[in-house]
Amino acid sequence: MKRLLAAAFAALSLMFSQTAFSQTPPNVLVVGQIAEPKSMDPATVTAVNDFRILMNLYDGLVRYKSGTLEVEPALATEWEISEDGKTYTFKLRDGIKFHDGAALDAEAVKFNFDRMLDENNPYHDTGPFPLSFFFSAVDSVEAPDAQTVVFNLKEPYAPFLSNLAYPTGLIVSPEAVKKHGKEFGRHPSGTGPFKFAEWESNSKVVVEANADYWDGAPSLQAVVFRPITDANTRVAEMLSGGIDVMVEVPPDNLATFASDANSKVYEQAGPHLWFLILNAKEGPMADKRVRQAVNYAIDKKALVDNVLQGTAEVAAGPTPPAFAWAYNDKLQPYPHDPDKAKALLKDAGADGAELTFYVTEGGSGMLDPVAMGAAIQADLAKVGLDAKIETYEWNTFLGKVNPGLEGKADMAEMAWMTNDPDTLPYLALRTGAFPDEGGFNSGYYSNPEVDKLLEEARRETDQAKRAVLYKKMQEIVRDDAPWAFIANWKQNAVTSARVEGFELQPSFFLLLHDVKKN
Amino acid sequence: MVALPFTAGKAADRGGRPSPFQLLIANRLSAAGLAILALIVTLAFLTPILPLPDPDITDPARRLLTPGADGHLLGTDHLGRDLLSRLLWGTRVSIVVGLSATLIAAIVGSLIGLTAGYAGGRTDSVLMRGIDLVMAFPYILLALGIVAVLGPGLLNALYAIAVVNIPFFARNIRGMTLGLSRREFVDAARLSGASHPAILFGDVLPNVLPTIVVTMSTTVGWMILETAGLSFLGLGAQPPQADLGSMLGEGRKLLFTAPHVSVIPGLMIFVLVMSINLVGDGIRDVLDPRLKSGALAAPGAATAVKRETVPEKPATGAVLSVEGLSTRFQTGSRVYKAVGGVDLDLAPGERVGLVGESGSGKSVTALSLLRLVPTPPGTITAGRVTIGGEDQLGASVEDLRRLRGGQVAYVFQDPLTTLHPLFTVGQQIVEALQAHQPLSRRQAEARAIELLERVQIPSAKARFEAYPHELSGGMRQRVCIAMALANDPELIIADEPTTALDVTVQAQVLKLMRGLSEAQGSAVLFITHDFGVVSELCDRVAVMYAGRIVEIGPTQDVLDTPAHPYTRKLIDCVPVLGQPERRLDAIEGLPPPVDRLPPGCAFAERCPIAEPRCRESEISLNGLSAGRAVRCIKPHGVAS
Amino acid sequence: MWIYIGKRLIATVPILLGLSVIVFGMMALIPGDPATAILGSYATPENVERLNSQLGLDKPLVEQYFIWLGNLLQGDMGRSYALNRPVADEVFERFGATLVLAGASLILCSIFGLIAGIAAAVRQFGWTDRIVTFLVLIGISTPSFWLGLLLIMLFAVELQWLPASGMFAIYGGGGPLDLLRHLAMPAVTLAVVATAVIARLTRAAMLEVLRQDYIRTARAKGVSERRVIYRHAFKAALVSVIPVIGIQAGFVLGGAVYIETVFQWPGIGRMLVNAISTRDLLLVQGGVLVVAASYVFFNLIADVAQTIVDPRLR
Repeated sequence: MKRLLAAAFAALSLMFSQTAFSQTPPNVLVVGQIAEPKSMDPATVTAVNDFRILMNLYDGLVRYKSGTLEVEPALATEWEISEDGKTYTFKLRDGIKFHDGAALDAEAVKFNFDRMLDENNPYHDTGPFPLSFFFSAVDSVEAPDAQTVVFNLKEPYAPFLSNLAYPTGLIVSPEAVKKHGKEFGRHPSGTGPFKFAEWESNSKVVVEANADYWDGAPSLQAVVFRPITDANTRVAEMLSGGIDVMVEVPPDNLATFASDANSKVYEQAGPHLWFLILNAKEGPMADKRVRQAVNYAIDKKALVDNVLQGTAEVAAGPTPPAFAWAYNDKLQPYPHDPDKAKALLKDAGADGAELTFYVTEGGSGMLDPVAMGAAIQADLAKVGLDAKIETYEWNTFLGKVNPGLEGKADMAEMAWMTNDPDTLPYLALRTGAFPDEGGFNSGYYSNPEVDKLLEEARRETDQAKRAVLYKKMQEIVRDDAPWAFIANWKQNAVTSARVEGFELQPSFFLLLHDVKKN
Repeated sequence: MVALPFTAGKAADRGGRPSPFQLLIANRLSAAGLAILALIVTLAFLTPILPLPDPDITDPARRLLTPGADGHLLGTDHLGRDLLSRLLWGTRVSIVVGLSATLIAAIVGSLIGLTAGYAGGRTDSVLMRGIDLVMAFPYILLALGIVAVLGPGLLNALYAIAVVNIPFFARNIRGMTLGLSRREFVDAARLSGASHPAILFGDVLPNVLPTIVVTMSTTVGWMILETAGLSFLGLGAQPPQADLGSMLGEGRKLLFTAPHVSVIPGLMIFVLVMSINLVGDGIRDVLDPRLKSGALAAPGAATAVKRETVPEKPATGAVLSVEGLSTRFQTGSRVYKAVGGVDLDLAPGERVGLVGESGSGKSVTALSLLRLVPTPPGTITAGRVTIGGEDQLGASVEDLRRLRGGQVAYVFQDPLTTLHPLFTVGQQIVEALQAHQPLSRRQAEARAIELLERVQIPSAKARFEAYPHELSGGMRQRVCIAMALANDPELIIADEPTTALDVTVQAQVLKLMRGLSEAQGSAVLFITHDFGVVSELCDRVAVMYAGRIVEIGPTQDVLDTPAHPYTRKLIDCVPVLGQPERRLDAIEGLPPPVDRLPPGCAFAERCPIAEPRCRESEISLNGLSAGRAVRCIKPHGVAS
Repeated sequence: MWIYIGKRLIATVPILLGLSVIVFGMMALIPGDPATAILGSYATPENVERLNSQLGLDKPLVEQYFIWLGNLLQGDMGRSYALNRPVADEVFERFGATLVLAGASLILCSIFGLIAGIAAAVRQFGWTDRIVTFLVLIGISTPSFWLGLLLIMLFAVELQWLPASGMFAIYGGGGPLDLLRHLAMPAVTLAVVATAVIARLTRAAMLEVLRQDYIRTARAKGVSERRVIYRHAFKAALVSVIPVIGIQAGFVLGGAVYIETVFQWPGIGRMLVNAISTRDLLLVQGGVLVVAASYVFFNLIADVAQTIVDPRLR
């Protein structure tokens, strides 16, 4: 018995003594992700979580300039847009090879878009491609010569370049797709600064440096992406040195890291909007005054400061300030004015109205939906509006909200992260975007002027002119208050002090090309 | 040592056993649990009228205040809500949900179990297949699936947990019902024409109810934990309603910054479930029939001995010399003098019978010799047992062990329970051998087979590999005898070895024992209630009554001319072959309970020739003639 | 013996079939569908319908079931919608991880539970008994998810002795020692309840056995007290304890969801939770089938073990 105890003790001390294991290896960056990635095929994924890995494995024809949402050359060196805005001609960079050795040429680019958009393409079954509608304006793609790609659009589509910079537009190696077919998602091959090394399900995705990268080899030797779904565990790993980079830090833990000498905290406003869809078709919310009252009743500052711990800014209108060129900075958010709210309600005869409020438990970009829902409920109660919360798990929630709120609820939480000021309003504020037409306008907001502005802006290829149109749209929408505009998320990240050159991008992408680790 | 329903009067007389409440309280942990639980339940009950802030009012500006911060005894949570208030309201919810889930699971599960166990056959099969199906489903997943289908919410979580625990109840209750349904009282009820539901609920259910209650009390805590778990995962209580689990879940995100938000509800769950489990254990102990009978513990290696004086070492060459042996049993507040002063000697090779009715103390005497009486009730309180020159009552356990199975061997009454069911008979004999002799396994096995042959077991080699349940009663007893003989004992103590056997087998075994004892030269102390057996086997006989020897002498003498009135009555009870007209007199009355022995002669109540003198004072064992003694002041055949 | 095992194995088939039907039915009742899960925020009714059709989910449920069954009999468990990966690959990987965790927990709880139970029974009412009883009570009263978090706080964050999560070190890991370090906390946390249950039961069984006549006989034979306890009493008590260990095995296999969540153990419990949440029907089917089959299998092992220990059952 004693010998048994002694042996056990020895084994235990051996286990505990290997603290060296806790430290991550030098020049290998370990990133704590919030979920297990779905696939390494950029055309098939929709979540930011996946984008973070993919932006390091692939390049697109264009990319966002660092620190902005403006487009700059990447795989394409230059491009020309025809007068009518329907033809885009790109010149490709010379001498780029995919990780598997195949050459990047116009045929390869054409292959990518044919696969995604043409239902009859033999490789269309490697999908589904949920975000292919970003390129629904594309009629055909041509490859007149090895370095030239021509896109023929059905109609002018201003967001096209921006969408090309988005992960859905990343270029994958046709050879790899042909070789692996449906399993391409597990055997990716792109042109990016890092090469895919391995993917151990639910454990790690490892990518290694691509020494031949056209834009210069990265400093890091490798990057390991670790999915840690539980926020607490992620924090624990960060604190114990198990990961070097952590994104989407829970607001309450931000303070802990800020005061920790071994960590650096980063914050960056992003193109994100958290809002309440209001049912403009029926019920109390059909009246504009009631909708405005809701905006006045909610103490957005308190929400943002206290519930979200300062990790977001109060939103003024439908367009996040991150779209700097299109944002109407003269717009003021609805101030917190319960008295005004009560007055409006009285006018509209909606005093003491009962509301059904859909709240969700989670979801990409939803921040802290349960806590925010509770706080909003309390704020509304203070002006005499009785909001009954119905909470649903994310997928169920989407299944209830996206088909439209008619007959179900008066208000529902929602959040969007987009890459172009066109996307959200086009999909969710137009009359032509009602759910039964395939859009996301679940609140049935309809304003023909807004519709006109959006259609025009979409076709307008001159950015300055576009900006004017969007700014006007924001004014109208803010006044009409189809939504309760609550917050723009400031995405955050924490890295260990050993990490240098790390920057958060407004696009929410995690670009690791220039990152160093000591 | 059995308390008989002898006394009239006190209806609540438990025979010295503690009352349920006493039992509960005596178990201090249970009492503590009860106190804590009572406190929590009272607080929860009173919550609506206590001066607490509204648990749902959010105040984000004052979030995450630590306990003690102004006005908030336990601090605030991440939305600024008062934790103490939420804790109490949450506890209410958790308790109610836990209880409800348990009740639902208990009722539905018991109904299924009762029906399956009672109906048997096809119904039972189908129901149990269904239960198996539910049990095969991964537990948590079933709960998650149910909640996913019904939607999140406390009520749905309740249903989910209840459903998932139904099989547990169903199985247990079915098991019990199966056993009960075959019992006579159920048959009787059927015969009397009662309908099935009437029988089920009128006769079977009341007997199963204690099990149901016990199962419920032991699962309530578990149900609370499980519902808390679902809430923890966000599937139970929906905001702003809170139960302890969802509070823990909400607080989880703040574990590093404001641990009190999750530690406090976690502690509360822990204390609540702990106290429920303590009380549940207490209830179970109360309803446990064994505890009711006062036998609380398992016996140790040797009987405890508490003597005031130790008699002198006797100067005889006897194999066994017993002086003034007294053994008592204590249950509750009653003290049973099972053996009240026994003197006995066995010469080498002598065979002595010890005769008496059930409860006379003969078995206890035999067991006391080598301190095999279970100690939690029993204690040896006086006397000296000398074997091999040493007083065994004062010997160390190791010395005792060396004697047991070595110089002194036992043969017990019921060979089925006496032999270990999980070892072969061969293994058990080998063990007896190796405990005392330095034999290798092969040698021991060879000797064991020899022994089996000596006790006349046919095909001894094959039988070596047999398990006790594969042999007949007679064979088993032979094996026991073989085990006893393994180490050539000087003394064999046989406690009613043939009582459990049929008469023909009995005769064989007796013959065997006699032969062996003569061949070995071992002394035998043969305990029995049967004079016939005694006359077969024993040289001398001692008669015991109410814990003492009342007559002792050479067998033939005692049988021919019994001196003590009791002996005479006993002999008269035995039918004699060839004398059909012989009148059998049963002895009126019953032996006195040995915790309330009357002064004077214990037999006086039933003695046909008793006089007041008999009841006055202690009567000693007086010698009659050579080798004969009797404890009577008016023995037969002696002029008074 | 083999016939018995064979019969039992055959008897599991209807149970597994019944389970698969229940799962299919259950998933059908859950509102939502895989397409919504895949499309996420971009799930318009139109897109959803299109995707559902692509995935073959617009066929009637019964037809889908038989398609699945047909494929299963050919060894194909289908493809997970959400993960875009063969179900079999995912399920068996995750199940392997759970088996490791479950195995370690079972070993821990069996050893400690049995030892504690024996010690408590042998020194009944003594200090050992009281301590064990107390620890048992704590064990069955502690919420495992809470305990896990506390352990992480203490051992991983404060003391930095053990890794906070995962199954292997992320870089240059692998190997038994690495696994053991990652296994330590989750296995212990998972084992706590089971240990308590087994200890309590062992104590009761031992007490029951020690009251039996054959124990008295063993003592009367002069067998050493140690042998009486560990060979005679323990073996007999084991007969009652084995089925409970079997049940704990089942519980640990399918119910380790909290532990897997808190410690990020890549096990099948969490996979199933996520699969339900993403309405990944085929993955749930595959997962439940494997877990249920293993549960049945473990019960069978327990029964066979019981038969080995107790010859009267043969």
